[in-house]
Amino acid sequence: MSDSGGMTSKGAEPIAVVDSRSTEIQAVDVAQTHGSLYSSSQPAVQSWSSSTGEQSVPNSSYYYDPQSQVSMSGDAQGMSFTSHASTSSNQVGVNSTQPYSGYAPYSSSTVPYNYNSVGFQNYYYSNHPLGNDSTTQQVEGDQNPGAAYQPLSAFPNSGSYVAPTSYLGTYYNAGDNQTGTGYENNSYNYQTGLWNDANYHNYPQHLYSSYTTSATTVAQSSTTASTNSLYYQQQYNKWPYCYNQAMPAVNGIAGTDNSHAAPSLQSAGYSAVGVGAGYPYSSNQPPPPGTTSWREDSKPPGVSSFQEAATPYNVNKTWEVVPPAMQTPPVNQQSYFNNLLKPTPLPNENQDNQPKVIYSQAPHIQHSSSNHVPEIFQTPQQTAPTTEVRQFSKVQIPTNPRIAPNVGVSLLKTQKESSGTNAPTRPAYVSVSMPKPSDKSSAEDHGKTKGTFPPSLCAYVDRSFARCKDDSQRSANENILKQVIAKATADGTLFTKEWDIEPLFTLPVEQSDQQSGSPWPITKRSPSRRRSRWEPVADENLNDKLTSVDDNATKNTSLGQVEAAEKVAVKNSGSKSVNGSVGYKFLPSQQQSILPKFSQRAMKKPRFSHTLSATENVDHSSDSDKEQNLTKYYASAIALADSPEEKKRRENRVKRFEKGHGNQTDLKISRSKIAAGSGAYTSRTSGLLKPTSYENGQSKAVEDIDWDSLTVKGTCQEIEKRYLRLTSAPEPSTVRPEEILEKALHMVQTSQKSYLYRCDQLKSIRQDLTVQRIQNTLTVKVYETHARLALEAGDLPEYNQCQSQLKRLYAEGIKGCYMEFSAYNLLSIILHSNNKRELLSSMARLSADAKSDKAVKHALSVHSAVSSGNYILFFRLYKEAPNLNTFFMNIYMEKMRFEAMKCMCKSYRPVVPVSYITRALGFSKLTQGEEIEDASIDGYEECEEWLRAHGAVITSSNAELQLDTKASASTLYMPEVEDAVAHGDANLAVDNFLTRTL
Amino acid sequence: MAYLSMGEAHRRITDYLSRFCDAVSSQDAATLSALLAISSNFASLQAPADALNVFQDSNQLVNQVERYAQFAEILSPLLRCLQSYRLGRYSDAYVAFEKAANAFLQEFRNWETAWAMEAVYILALEIRLLAEKADRELSSSGKNTEKLQGAGSFLMKIFGALAGKGPKRVGALYVACQLFKVYFKLGTVHLCRSVIRSIETARLFDLDEFPVKDKVTYMYYTGRLEVYNENFTVADQKLTYALMHCSPNKEANKRMILKYLIPVKLSIGILPKQWLLEKYNLMEYNEVVKALKTGDLRLLRRALREHEDRFLRSGVYLVLEKLELQVYQRLMKKIYVLQKQKDPSKAHQLKIETAVKALNWLGMDMDMDEAECIMAILIFKNLTKGYISHKNKVVVLSKQDPFPKLNGKPVSS
Repeated sequence: MSDSGGMTSKGAEPIAVVDSRSTEIQAVDVAQTHGSLYSSSQPAVQSWSSSTGEQSVPNSSYYYDPQSQVSMSGDAQGMSFTSHASTSSNQVGVNSTQPYSGYAPYSSSTVPYNYNSVGFQNYYYSNHPLGNDSTTQQVEGDQNPGAAYQPLSAFPNSGSYVAPTSYLGTYYNAGDNQTGTGYENNSYNYQTGLWNDANYHNYPQHLYSSYTTSATTVAQSSTTASTNSLYYQQQYNKWPYCYNQAMPAVNGIAGTDNSHAAPSLQSAGYSAVGVGAGYPYSSNQPPPPGTTSWREDSKPPGVSSFQEAATPYNVNKTWEVVPPAMQTPPVNQQSYFNNLLKPTPLPNENQDNQPKVIYSQAPHIQHSSSNHVPEIFQTPQQTAPTTEVRQFSKVQIPTNPRIAPNVGVSLLKTQKESSGTNAPTRPAYVSVSMPKPSDKSSAEDHGKTKGTFPPSLCAYVDRSFARCKDDSQRSANENILKQVIAKATADGTLFTKEWDIEPLFTLPVEQSDQQSGSPWPITKRSPSRRRSRWEPVADENLNDKLTSVDDNATKNTSLGQVEAAEKVAVKNSGSKSVNGSVGYKFLPSQQQSILPKFSQRAMKKPRFSHTLSATENVDHSSDSDKEQNLTKYYASAIALADSPEEKKRRENRVKRFEKGHGNQTDLKISRSKIAAGSGAYTSRTSGLLKPTSYENGQSKAVEDIDWDSLTVKGTCQEIEKRYLRLTSAPEPSTVRPEEILEKALHMVQTSQKSYLYRCDQLKSIRQDLTVQRIQNTLTVKVYETHARLALEAGDLPEYNQCQSQLKRLYAEGIKGCYMEFSAYNLLSIILHSNNKRELLSSMARLSADAKSDKAVKHALSVHSAVSSGNYILFFRLYKEAPNLNTFFMNIYMEKMRFEAMKCMCKSYRPVVPVSYITRALGFSKLTQGEEIEDASIDGYEECEEWLRAHGAVITSSNAELQLDTKASASTLYMPEVEDAVAHGDANLAVDNFLTRTL
Repeated sequence: MAYLSMGEAHRRITDYLSRFCDAVSSQDAATLSALLAISSNFASLQAPADALNVFQDSNQLVNQVERYAQFAEILSPLLRCLQSYRLGRYSDAYVAFEKAANAFLQEFRNWETAWAMEAVYILALEIRLLAEKADRELSSSGKNTEKLQGAGSFLMKIFGALAGKGPKRVGALYVACQLFKVYFKLGTVHLCRSVIRSIETARLFDLDEFPVKDKVTYMYYTGRLEVYNENFTVADQKLTYALMHCSPNKEANKRMILKYLIPVKLSIGILPKQWLLEKYNLMEYNEVVKALKTGDLRLLRRALREHEDRFLRSGVYLVLEKLELQVYQRLMKKIYVLQKQKDPSKAHQLKIETAVKALNWLGMDMDMDEAECIMAILIFKNLTKGYISHKNKVVVLSKQDPFPKLNGKPVSS
């Protein structure tokens, strides 16, 4: 409560402090303004860059890069990046990531063990003075986005993985950054300080204590870090560093995550590496990835890198999420979550384009993050405030099924871990700070230059690596990248160039295949895991979730990522402290997704001390198992390019893009194409979030999702289409656009085929209308047509569906045969449902206009005939029924006749001539007024048959049949309907069903 | 709004808070109720509400003092509700109030005695009133009106807390009545079933142990439900009970009961006196009654036409519509009486042709077949004793009581 209350006031003060200290603070402030996370984050990023420059050049450059990446994304690769950028969280994340990276440097600079203690102290100091909770939190949120970016960089890492030696080199470069990281760490401290002040005025001290304890063991330190979301980030950063450092060293160490982290921390060189990862991104995500990746590298380097890359995404997401929760009070957090959720969809879209590249990187991050993160997460969770957030996040999860799986997993992990570690490790702040560093580390992996590279460049590198199919390509790619970067550095355009829009250079070998292949390694890993967007998340299977997350990432489906991010966020939120961070993460959907994974893995990792295992199977406690899994995973990932399934899938994906944007026919995987594809995606995904939501990070709710952007635009040109109930998201290629549907409707209307065929066709038309959210006169026409057809065929269930839709459509003011269908509605109530209150309200709703309408008047007359039992009137109305009113009366006719028979048998004596009954009960086809010349014709026999079938006693006198009323009164009965079936619907009779053909 | 100093605002809010806490600790239900009655007793709450607009950080105030903080879950949203209500933001006020009420209910569950029952009544009333206000506000701004629905589910929660054994169950009927009000307003009358079942079928309650006023309300609503179901015998019992026990001073309430009781009585053949309709301003039934007395179908149709909206909304339209048969019966009886005066020996033979003439004279466009059909229905429904000879187009009436009175029994179906 106090936190929330203090938010506003504190926020203001903290901002000021931040400014004085560094641009980073400004970024934080921006982050605080949730609404304008994006824009603010960008500015903040700039400030960051400046600040970073002051503090530590390498780090700053890293930070700068992330920012630039964000902006770049908007432009070039932009589609994807832009989508990221569009998510305010992403941008924020970038900013935050910078700070994080700073943190990472911290850890790196100090010996790992010392690190913790030092870092904590710093935190204390910073915390006390700054006292800006919200700002720091925001920063965290920003950082998360950064992490997402890092994942991209991670991709390069994967490439480097292929060539371990090269990786090492890159890492070392990162080492250069380490000094910078040290600076960053300082900045981090500030941030953390802010955090502490805001939420944890008391906390800081506790955290410190915890930190000191943790110092004894790296793993412990990580846990302490986790206590504070910021700490988390820091830890992440550290981890990344560690990872980076560890990576080289880790090659041997790889087995244990914690141990890895520790070693890295201890070794200065490692720390330097971490700097390289430096970019906060890498540090956050990378660390975990690093560890995992390292391990993986030892076995199947390429694969491992991919996995790691995937993990980064999760990590980033989680991170982001955590910060928000921290910053905003519970209520705010909820809103954040909502916002995050919205943004997430966009990220997904982005992911489609970038995701491939990013994913590859992301996996790395995730792994590493998972190892580190677990502890961190636990600590964040400890903070009570976040609990509410968790709940919120959970609630949100349903919205994005795909994401949800991931989130769920992460949440579970985090929750578990958090539950275990909550009490002691609340200092979660530390952990928060870490994530950014991981991002950087991933970036490092990609580019040798990553140490000081802007995030956009890292992403660019990631992209380039993402398209690499095999090691040879990767090495070639690496060489070219080196040249490109060297050139950019020489030009001085390294930081100014918009890498996001920069087209990828063409690879010497078949690039087209490579693109799809490399980005998707994860998918291969879990091809069967593919889930529909709307599939519910299975929390029970952590492994599944993880895999699903990976799948999502690989798929690049924006939704999937978003969902995953959301899930992660949710999970994070579930853990109190973590929750807050999750919320932030949500904003940058991509990052969020990464974060979630990260957090999940991290949670588990602490327990098992194996990041890799966490990613693959959380439950795998034995290293060997994990390693095996990883190797399999990697191997499968590598094999992706070769497997026919994968190829097909990739082709399909490419086709989807092409269909959406006909101009993009270039099969070359040149970056431009990717960008275009991403653009298409973004156009769809970005629509998810209303622009305002991006700008105003606050309280984005599910209702704010712009469903228009989710709406499928059909491309199918077939007029005829069988109805198939959708079990997954609609495929645009199988959905007919409006003009085709119009033709289809005409075809059905003029078709002479059976009702079953036409019903099937109409249902498919309705489905296509629904998925495209077309609601106009055509929709009304379709439903009206179907309702009439169903009536004619006596298919009341189908009619009811149509009628309820029509009611809604009419209510929206769409023109149609309103009178006709209000008459049907009345008749349906009168003759079918016989619901008095419904009838009353329906009648009350009739306008004076409607009451004078012929069809409605008729329906009302039918009502009075039925209510008074006036069979003469009823059958007269039957004969003059307009439209299809007859079909409703058909339903009631049998009952009406029987009632009339009972009435006659009681009131007439001694006999009633059958000829009269024929006339009275509508057996005669003649209309009123026509003279009946021969009673034996025109329904007479039918009437006699009907009377006999109902037990009437018929006598004949003078050759005229008569109903003996007295005798019949006791023998009348309602014969069982011959075709009646137990379940009440003759259409569902088995024989009927089996012989039913269209 | 007059300017309030910070100190004065602080004083007013703390005064409110301390009164709340005092009321709880001293189990002063009356004071507590007054403090919770946001909309029904706003005048007395205006002072703290004004203060809240000046003094922003009321939450802190609640949380700072331990005495208040123990009820923070109630007081914080309650203050927010007060403030929102003062500003006319009823939707926000409702949301906050529901939160507060939820927390209060939680507390109430833990109190062993039912001392705060009065406050719970106020909660149930306020949640409904606020929801209605909020929905009006929402609908005027074109938004979804779902607050009353939310109030319904919250009332169900209260009902759940009260139903069952124990001293608190005496309040269940009041809450049930509030629920009925919500459901009738929402048109989700079918939801009343479960409430009624738990009160009547489950035999958790002995109706006698409830306050009379609640019983009257309960009978009124359940009686109305029976009108919907056209279960006139039961509806008559319930509504008559409600009318008999309704406070004699509550003219409006009696009118509401009569609005349903009169159609019910009409359909079982009991006509109201003219003065009753006049006294309670229920003249829309006047023509209906006249039609029943004279057999003039035109009057009935005209009444139904003129007051269609009103009858449809109150849900008696279909009931009144069914009086048509009684009007026919009256008309035939009139013919019979006239025939009897003319020629007693042939009075029991009523020619269809005569009936058609009479109907046509009344402006009813009917031919022989239809008139025959109506006669058949009258006989079928036991409104006429006798039989139709189709061959001769004659209704042969029973010599004994050819047009029996309903005498409190509904028309057989």
